Amino acid sequence: MATATETGLDQLDARGPTGPFRARNRQTITDVTGGPVAELSIVPALFIDRTVAALRAAAPLPREERVNALRRAGELFASAELCGLDVGDYQRRVSRVSGLALSVVEQATERIVSACGAALDQALAALPAGAVLDWSDARTQTGAALWVRRGEVFAVLAAGNHPAVNTHWLEAVALGYRVVVRPSRREPFTAARLIAAIHEAGLGQQVAFLPTDHAGADAIIAAADRSMVYGGDDVMRKYRGHPSVLPQGPGRSKILITADTDWRPQVELIAESVSRHGGVSCTSTTAVFVEGDAAAFAEALAAQLQELPARTPLDATAALPVFTAEDARRMGDHLARLAEGTVPLRGAASVVADLGDGSAALRAAVHLLPSSSSAQAGAELPFPCVWVAPWTRDDGVKPLADSLVLTVMTDDDELVDELIAQPGIRNLYVGSQPTYWTAPGVPHDGYLADFLMESKGVIKL
Amino acid sequence: MSAPDLSVLDLAAGERPDPDEFVRAAMHWHFSPQTGSPFWLQRAASLDFDPRADVRTFDDLSLFPNVTDELRDVKTQDLIPLGFGPRPDVVSVIESGGTTGPPKRLPMLREFADRLADSEVAYMKAAGVPQRGNWLSLFPSGPHGAFDGARRAAQRFGDGVLLYGIDIDPRWVKKQVAAGNSQVVDDYTEHIVDQAAFVLESQDVVSLRVTAPVLARIARREHLVEIIREKVRYVGWGGASMDADSRYLYRTDIFPGVELRGAYGTTMALGAGGRERAGLGHDDPCIFDANLSLWVTIRVVDPSTKRTVAVGERGQVVVSHLSRSFLLPNNDERDTALRVEAPVGQVGDSFADVAPLQQFGGAQVVEGVY
Repeated sequence: MATATETGLDQLDARGPTGPFRARNRQTITDVTGGPVAELSIVPALFIDRTVAALRAAAPLPREERVNALRRAGELFASAELCGLDVGDYQRRVSRVSGLALSVVEQATERIVSACGAALDQALAALPAGAVLDWSDARTQTGAALWVRRGEVFAVLAAGNHPAVNTHWLEAVALGYRVVVRPSRREPFTAARLIAAIHEAGLGQQVAFLPTDHAGADAIIAAADRSMVYGGDDVMRKYRGHPSVLPQGPGRSKILITADTDWRPQVELIAESVSRHGGVSCTSTTAVFVEGDAAAFAEALAAQLQELPARTPLDATAALPVFTAEDARRMGDHLARLAEGTVPLRGAASVVADLGDGSAALRAAVHLLPSSSSAQAGAELPFPCVWVAPWTRDDGVKPLADSLVLTVMTDDDELVDELIAQPGIRNLYVGSQPTYWTAPGVPHDGYLADFLMESKGVIKL
Repeated sequence: MSAPDLSVLDLAAGERPDPDEFVRAAMHWHFSPQTGSPFWLQRAASLDFDPRADVRTFDDLSLFPNVTDELRDVKTQDLIPLGFGPRPDVVSVIESGGTTGPPKRLPMLREFADRLADSEVAYMKAAGVPQRGNWLSLFPSGPHGAFDGARRAAQRFGDGVLLYGIDIDPRWVKKQVAAGNSQVVDDYTEHIVDQAAFVLESQDVVSLRVTAPVLARIARREHLVEIIREKVRYVGWGGASMDADSRYLYRTDIFPGVELRGAYGTTMALGAGGRERAGLGHDDPCIFDANLSLWVTIRVVDPSTKRTVAVGERGQVVVSHLSRSFLLPNNDERDTALRVEAPVGQVGDSFADVAPLQQFGGAQVVEGVY
């Protein structure tokens, strides 16, 4: 429960099966101007171990109850006062600390609400054709596969780049997992609110909110049966090959336009694909490969992207992501170093837009690379920052091989076949489709349920 | 130079001799050719002061350099004061953890071993440990001193108190931690708890001595938590630090009704150091008072200037040991702590919230289960 304490700041308490827990060890959450917004309780490993043990001991509720409670949780998320905040208060705080435009946070709220209602359906999209959900299903009388959980407790070390990253683990709740979430310490409000809503909706023994430090994060992974961890390349390296951890790394989403497709009518869509959600999402486009006049395309894209205004996040017209002025400068400097050897169309010198209150927006950056194999094409920065590169058939699919989403605008079916065969391309959108597009039933990075569930042979005579 | 009265060195714990008189007596004992140890008598030659003439007050102890590193290869015999005669009563040789380099070895003489055990007995009686009932120690035995220390305290505590012991090899654990073998550390810790479970399940244990990380492992097993709630009245933890939230959870949620007390002991002070102050609230930092003040005193200093930090500030823990058995002024510990006002009559500082120094003497400090 958020109440004023001696510091006068909102309190984001941890939340286990017995309710909220306010730790003595608390971290101040600051907004993009550097001002304090809330105090987040940081729980020790002891609390984590006890919480996971209690969740493990709690039986999952029947499927229908889970589904109904999740739907109810979505309604509460959209409308109720939770953690002491109504939905508007919640959205403004997320906007202030994450630097995302308020409109982006509002859209994310809608996505979270609908994900609460659709969590089981989304999970069932991965149900194998030969599998049933209950051993009492008539199909087990002649033998069938039963879709069962690979474990009981699922842990999420969540990211704070975008509130909607919290939609994914709802599937695990729908499937009967007990779920513990360690929020991002940059933006813990969304996970706190969503878990408070789920508790309020009657699943108090099923989910827990465990803000913690790095040692605590390790304790969470050790205690849980399966874990999903968001992070950069360091996290990918740490957990690659770890059988119970699903690492979620940089998206590096890209667009390829072949010579048979006129890019001119696509510039607006591509600019939107770069800048939507402030360019912070793993499905935001970070590189565009052009077979043809890449320089002309880059110029047109830069012209399109310069329209985005630099405003404080709460401003109704805000579109660019905002950071503390210091972080923004650091990212601008990083970009300047990174961009050496490229042609800036909107370069590092113009990206930092100081907002005068201790914060700064990051404007869109557009750079032309000398070739499709330039290393910069894989550099994903948390603002609209796109690399344009010339591409030829001789370059092949290699520069495209590591992409969460690849949109390919082409009439070449053979090329599509080749791209489909690449395991490192996790989603392939053919045609004029922005990389941020998603729809129910379409996987994000494979189906999460593939990681959570497995098929067990069953016959019941 | 008239000889000071050395009997102040033999007073019972709790008596309060004049600190400066005490220091002069210790200097006389350790630097007189008839009574001092070969190590100190030889080392005195290279000091730029005369300890017997120039060290007149507790503050003058700061004249001493930190000789701790020299104890890694000195012959242990050379550390025994000649004043104990040709047949000194050495109860054991104890070794440091080896966290910061090759281990250091110290002779534990009966004189100080009994003094430490008596102080532990008095502390535990004041904390309400029942007169009867057995103890379980999950601390290292030889070459480390912790298990032996518990054994002597148990023998002196009450009639028929048995001490059960499960051994720990802290050096092996540190080696595994340094090598990144977290699974091995995990398995070893479970192995310790497995062994402790047999004792807890079958024996009447009222007092448990355990490191904070192992206690956290025990708390994962609900049936052990229930046994401890039912049987154990006192849990003395040490060996590492415990955060205030974990302490709160133990006190209220996990082991309500069990007296939970922290201890800070250091091999380089022959096992003495600090004991948790009684009556601390949930929001108080875990404050340690010196448990054998005068014989063993603590200062919290700025590591660069060696000056005492202000109360409430964090600094490095520096321990001085002055007893008939041993002399080691100004030993820099591998820990930092907040300086806390000492209770009336205690020389030196009290301290709280012990945390490891990140770098120590050039070697990376590794914390493990111990």
